[in-house]
Amino acid sequence: MTSVKGTRRGPRASEGRWVLLFLGPTLIGLAVLSAGPILATLGVSLTRWDMLTPPQFVGIDNYATLLGDDRFLTALRNTTFYTVVSVPIGMLLALALASALNQQIRGIAWIRTAYFLPLVTSATAIALVWLWIYSPTGLLNNALAIFGVSPKRWIADPTLAMPSIIAMSIWQGLPANVIIFLAGLQAIPSEYYDAASVDGAGRWSRYRSVTLPLLTPSIFFTGVLALIGAFQVFDQVYVMANPGKPGSATITLVYFIYEAGFRNFKMGYAAGASWIMFLIVAVATLVYFRTQDRWVHYQ
Amino acid sequence: MTTLRATRPLLRVAAVMAMAVMVGACGGAAPSPTTAPPAASPSATAAPSTAQAASPSVPASASPSASAAACGTYAGPAVTITYAMWGDTTELANQQKIVDAFHAMNPKITVKVSVSDWDSYWPKLQTDLAGGNAPDVFLMDGPLYPDYQTRDQLLDLSPYIAKDGFDTGQLVDLAVQDFTAPDGHLYGLPRDLNTIALFYNKTMFDAAGIAYPDATWDWAKLAEVAKQLTKTAGGAPQWGFYTETSDMENYWSSLVWQAGGDILSADKKTVVIDTDQAAAGIQFLQDLVYKDKVMAQPVAGGVGDMFENGQAALEADGSWLVPTHQAAGIDFGVAPLPKGPAGQATSVNPSGVVAYKGSKAPDAAWEFIKCYTGPQMQAMIASLKASMPANKEVLTNQYATSFDGGKIFAEALTYAHIKPSFKGYDEFATTLQDELDSKVFNDNVLTAKAALDQVTPKLQKLLGQ
Repeated sequence: MTSVKGTRRGPRASEGRWVLLFLGPTLIGLAVLSAGPILATLGVSLTRWDMLTPPQFVGIDNYATLLGDDRFLTALRNTTFYTVVSVPIGMLLALALASALNQQIRGIAWIRTAYFLPLVTSATAIALVWLWIYSPTGLLNNALAIFGVSPKRWIADPTLAMPSIIAMSIWQGLPANVIIFLAGLQAIPSEYYDAASVDGAGRWSRYRSVTLPLLTPSIFFTGVLALIGAFQVFDQVYVMANPGKPGSATITLVYFIYEAGFRNFKMGYAAGASWIMFLIVAVATLVYFRTQDRWVHYQ
Repeated sequence: MTTLRATRPLLRVAAVMAMAVMVGACGGAAPSPTTAPPAASPSATAAPSTAQAASPSVPASASPSASAAACGTYAGPAVTITYAMWGDTTELANQQKIVDAFHAMNPKITVKVSVSDWDSYWPKLQTDLAGGNAPDVFLMDGPLYPDYQTRDQLLDLSPYIAKDGFDTGQLVDLAVQDFTAPDGHLYGLPRDLNTIALFYNKTMFDAAGIAYPDATWDWAKLAEVAKQLTKTAGGAPQWGFYTETSDMENYWSSLVWQAGGDILSADKKTVVIDTDQAAAGIQFLQDLVYKDKVMAQPVAGGVGDMFENGQAALEADGSWLVPTHQAAGIDFGVAPLPKGPAGQATSVNPSGVVAYKGSKAPDAAWEFIKCYTGPQMQAMIASLKASMPANKEVLTNQYATSFDGGKIFAEALTYAHIKPSFKGYDEFATTLQDELDSKVFNDNVLTAKAALDQVTPKLQKLLGQ
């Protein structure tokens, strides 16, 4: 990062075509595979279409209906709850864990590997293990029974279902964030710590005044990905909660879109829901980007 | 990170938009629902025996022009057709044997079978149909048939039936009726079907010295005996009763009919699930859990079949569970469902084979469908015991006598109601079931009547779409 800012501001003119050459495949892919379908979705969202018979133009009917559809609003509420809870907690835990793992102690490589395991484990395998943890006669209830806590229905109880899934998701998403934080931590030059020590800074104030500010770019970056990822939550809900059950307690926006389009023959309606979600995510991300001048420090 | 920050505002927006790209095609294997009709148990012990299939005791066909209606009359060019169905790998292996038998009878037609689990089968089918690339023949669930038939995706089989003089009277009438479109034509033929009855664990009944259930049982008797067989104090609990509450087919639609209610009016234009009678049926099930306490509180996602696990003495459920219960080593018998205030009723749900309208080999597809519902291949389906054959002869002569209880499931057809089947069934059923799961079955928040009053306007709106 320092080198980019250091000597040169940008590529020389002769390097321009090389830039295009390297970016080309991605740009073409983005245009053909992402931008095209996204725009097409906008068109589809103005129709009533079951994919099998010709679409009928209905204007903004789908949007009007969506905003009064209880199930859509439930999905929106569930997804917002999921995002607001899972993103901050997930990042705080990842930060704490990365700091703890950034130590030079014996066997640290093994310990780090253990924490990264969820990242390379298949989502289905993880869900199956967690289903067992959460089952009425499972690990969690047995462990709680030792402390005299009566068994809970972690997945079947509508009020506990979403928090249970959030807990699993946080655990599952932890290692990806930890890796980024760990890389960020290791990129901080030790001179800064030495200088801080000379000035008499203790352990905590070194962490607060050196580590945290220099880690803000990593935190910012992780935050963007976590925010967008959380809004698109689907797999966990689909596998864990036997789609969306109990009741509609765990239906999320992407699940709603999937259900409308591929189960209920309402592709136009699903496209409308996708666009509402897209706008929400875009606005949230934009707002998040705007805050960065206030708290993100680049070296 | 530096580069992101350095870009101009417009590019930054573009970056945000690009990152915000959503609608991911999200995968993930899903547990197939317990209600997916005839998925053969992975541990099904009864492999289809070809010896049985060739049994001379099975008459060919009662059709007047038996020659054309019989299997093996395809005269077209050699062709390969595709056949898609839901199920697991065991189901695939079982059906492969049936398809091999078909190939032996029709050497010019090769059938490629594919299976998907229930949850991914339907989205895949829709995508294939939308792309004009659907399988030549595919399996169709009775309730979902109108969704595909009314969208003009299925081959009209009536001309083929007329041409070959195929006698649809050899198939279970209710099942044929379920695949009869509003125009009176058949766009599919039933392959197999399932009815609901009462399983009982003989060991538990014997231990308690209680007489086995029989046709005289009513709701009160069920609740009374289930209470006697419930021992939840100390040790491993034994429940008197178990059923799956998360789909109407397993038990609660039968209760609605036994109480004199219904889900839709006869013309399928009005939702009538909120009548006192219909609510009484669902209330009975809620009471078994929360008032009589003879059944464990249902859990979304399921805790497994408690009857199969030897934790419940009785289970109201479908004929598809027979191989599972047999494999679990339960010594069980089968009785008709206990009668309700309005008498006896059960649910029947056929799955059928349909052909894609855009198939390039419609003649071969028809030959396959015709043979599938004929005596030889039906005998192979019957020997799996994972569902009841749609062919009457095979049902009566083979299935009904092949295990203790087969007769009960077969005879249940005389008082069975077809599982509701109409355009938009899936969304309707999900909306209704969500209400019942969250308010009535998995939690005791509302009475059945209050919950149904709440959800009926929504259902009526869906039905009108």
